[in-house]
Amino acid sequence: MTKSCVSCGNRIASSLREASVRSWARQLCNQARYPIVYRLLAGLPICAGCLDALPVIGGPICQRCGRELEVGIATGTICHDCKLVTEETLVSNRSLLHYNEWGKSLLGLYKYRGDERLASFYGALLAITFFRYHDPTSFACITTVPLHSNRLHERGFNQVDLLAAGLSTAVGVPVQSLLQRTKETAKLSKQGGRTARQESMREAFAWTGDRGVSIPFGTCKKPYKILLVDDIFTTGSTLRSCASVLRAHLGAICEIYSLTIYR
Amino acid sequence: MRDYLLYLKQGKMSIQAYVTPCFEVDLMYWRDREGCQLHIMGKSPSLALVFSLREMINTHLQGLSGTGKSITDKALANLKQMITGYVHDVSHLYKREATGIESPGKEWFEWEESDHPSQEYGNSVDGIGECTGNSPSATYAQVLAGRSLLWEEVGTLLQKRGMADQDCTAVLQQMVLAGKAEWKPGIRLSMKKGWWRNRLELKCERCGSGSGDLELTVCHSCGQGCAYCTVCLGMGRSKCCTPYVLVSAPKVVSAVNKREQVRDVARLQWMGSYSKDQARAAEQARRFVASPRLGLDEFLIWAVCGAGKTELLFPSIAEALSAGGRVLIATPRKDVVLELAPRIQKVFPNARVIAVHGSSAQKWDDSDITIATTHQVMRYYRRFPLVVLDEADAFPYHNNLVLYRAVARAVQAGGKLLYLSATPPRYLQKRLIPSKRSFFIRTSSRTPLLSASHVLLPGRYHGSVLPVPDVVTVQGLHKRVQSNRPIAPLVEMVRSSLDNGRQVFLFVPRIDDVEKVLAYVQQLLPAHAPQMAGVHAADTLREEKVRAFRDRQYTLMVTTTILERGVTIPRSDVVVLGAEAPVFDEASLVQIAGRVGRSIDDTTGTVLFLQADRANAPKAAVKQICRMNQLAQKLRAQEERN
Repeated sequence: MTKSCVSCGNRIASSLREASVRSWARQLCNQARYPIVYRLLAGLPICAGCLDALPVIGGPICQRCGRELEVGIATGTICHDCKLVTEETLVSNRSLLHYNEWGKSLLGLYKYRGDERLASFYGALLAITFFRYHDPTSFACITTVPLHSNRLHERGFNQVDLLAAGLSTAVGVPVQSLLQRTKETAKLSKQGGRTARQESMREAFAWTGDRGVSIPFGTCKKPYKILLVDDIFTTGSTLRSCASVLRAHLGAICEIYSLTIYR
Repeated sequence: MRDYLLYLKQGKMSIQAYVTPCFEVDLMYWRDREGCQLHIMGKSPSLALVFSLREMINTHLQGLSGTGKSITDKALANLKQMITGYVHDVSHLYKREATGIESPGKEWFEWEESDHPSQEYGNSVDGIGECTGNSPSATYAQVLAGRSLLWEEVGTLLQKRGMADQDCTAVLQQMVLAGKAEWKPGIRLSMKKGWWRNRLELKCERCGSGSGDLELTVCHSCGQGCAYCTVCLGMGRSKCCTPYVLVSAPKVVSAVNKREQVRDVARLQWMGSYSKDQARAAEQARRFVASPRLGLDEFLIWAVCGAGKTELLFPSIAEALSAGGRVLIATPRKDVVLELAPRIQKVFPNARVIAVHGSSAQKWDDSDITIATTHQVMRYYRRFPLVVLDEADAFPYHNNLVLYRAVARAVQAGGKLLYLSATPPRYLQKRLIPSKRSFFIRTSSRTPLLSASHVLLPGRYHGSVLPVPDVVTVQGLHKRVQSNRPIAPLVEMVRSSLDNGRQVFLFVPRIDDVEKVLAYVQQLLPAHAPQMAGVHAADTLREEKVRAFRDRQYTLMVTTTILERGVTIPRSDVVVLGAEAPVFDEASLVQIAGRVGRSIDDTTGTVLFLQADRANAPKAAVKQICRMNQLAQKLRAQEERN
């Protein structure tokens, strides 16, 4: 069966894609990673036109939140927004794509309409991001931003868990569920403003990692890294809130990195 | 997580299995009625599984029905054992199908057997009967009548009507028991036993898609093995654990005091007049709608492009409204919905007219005349005594079994379905046009002008003939465009049209061709270059560009097939570049040729089909247009003689 493009629905002609797959692979990684990133890109269910049009973040980025540094939003290597954050719990965030109209509709299709077939596509994109910025051997585990149980029941699936599972198989780092959501917050996209978001995220998460976790976190003396996965980084309040819970439980010895698709 | 309970009801005559989300309602219901005995079998959170069990048990019990009247304890134990075995088999089959997904629990499907003792109800109470009138059940039935909705959609609808405060499960279950409503799992699950291996069969109850289009998942809503339908995903997720509620609308018997009001709704306020042909066709359609004959439930109005199809409908719609029913006008295209709604509202000023499409705010309103895209029709269930299907041969309705089913389901039992098309697909022609074929001689070219199930309108409303396309084969057509070499017939025709102040549609087969051909034509005719534009389905400026073309800001529009229907531009000509391409089939080319000469002050125009090599579709299109012209001429001659 010929696959069709996830974003425009047209038939995928692999012969047309070859050139753009190669050029993206060259741009996104160094030579050592080229084969693996090439294979991930080649496996994406997306047609040549849409692949060319992927709004990939390029150029200089903010060392903290991973956004592209356009003119006027930063001096130096850290953007103004990140400088305002007083208690930084995340070491860094990295994302692959700009969040534009295209991303909005496609992510909506996945999250709200519930088209789970997109999970493999997004999982591969996350894996590409991972190989672009990180080294797989350095992470102890992957963990995800949890959904509230009511929301999960309503939606029927956890979109981030599916992504993390895809990422985990691609990079070989195990997924551990360490957090749970204790507060049912309104949809982030329905809340206005940075401060409102930060306020609603305060104490929205709690530690649940003691149940059935195979990595002996407490006993480790060397600093270790945890990768936090989500679908989108908007103001960073969700991810920072998760990271602060993790650090409160594991001590300052752990370093929390985050990885998202959209920024 | 909601559990669904399966129980057996043993009445005097029969024994049957039932499913319920709230057993109390069923208890109450059966207590008020016949003397019966209820045996609870067990429960599960997976709705699809429970329904599948019910089906299995009912067929089993039917087979047994002859043997004895009452069911023994041994038989019950036997049934319970059967159920456990069945659940185990289904779990096993699901596991085989769902590769790469981890199961939520130990087994894919949970089944909790009940050791509840059977309950018996005396046969004394028989008098209470049904309470009608102001009961909540009646208002719910009224709101939900004629709709088929997923559970979430029921919630949305009730919220829109301000009835969301109470839980409607109990009321709905009452309606189901009374036979007023029906409910099913969104995806039906069944096990087919085979000689080689058993198979799991899944089917979407809403759109009818089979296993190939369904995705198996672990669902956090029911915590069981689940599946969702990818075909009708855009209308909400239809899942194994989502109840799908179907309520058919009751037949309207217009009461005496209501008659005055009904007549008012059906009042037609239209100043226009019909030509002789139109009047004949409209009358024929009206007679079809009015006829109480059973078995005659489909009718085709075949009217050429520019025959004034919409006006033909008015008498039929008025007829259906005055009988006290609702009318649905379905069409595959959203732009047609948007264009039609104000026109219909204008001629039926006292009727409530709503336009229903994906992003419409009126989706949940009640109305007399509903104008909807064919996708939205999926949410209706036996609601309308008259359904009109406009543009029956257009994408996405054409060749889409899901939508065929949806439209057929929106018709009330004994209702009428009216097809409207300029180029009816072959299957409709075969079904509705009786062929005058004698036993020995084939005279297939003679199409009758009218019969009980169709009417053919071969001439335009202004009486002029349809412009016949010129088909020109140009060697190396596409190479010439690639290398910017001029194509003589194209240049000549476009130049003369533009110089005469006419507008030109230039149709191309693919989206990629739009830019290329636009640049090519601009380079050939630099004088007119600024007034040229290109448009395709994915174009974000699509609506603005089409509007600008209507306003004559652009004089030449390079387009894909999106403008093949629904667009009327006076004083325009048409070129098809690459008419041999498979996207241009006969129907599409006839529609394209039909863009020309539609207005009464300009009834002629040029239609040019350029093909790279000889193809069948352009030839067939020309043949069809000529045939229509011949028929129209013959009809006119006949009229003059009379």
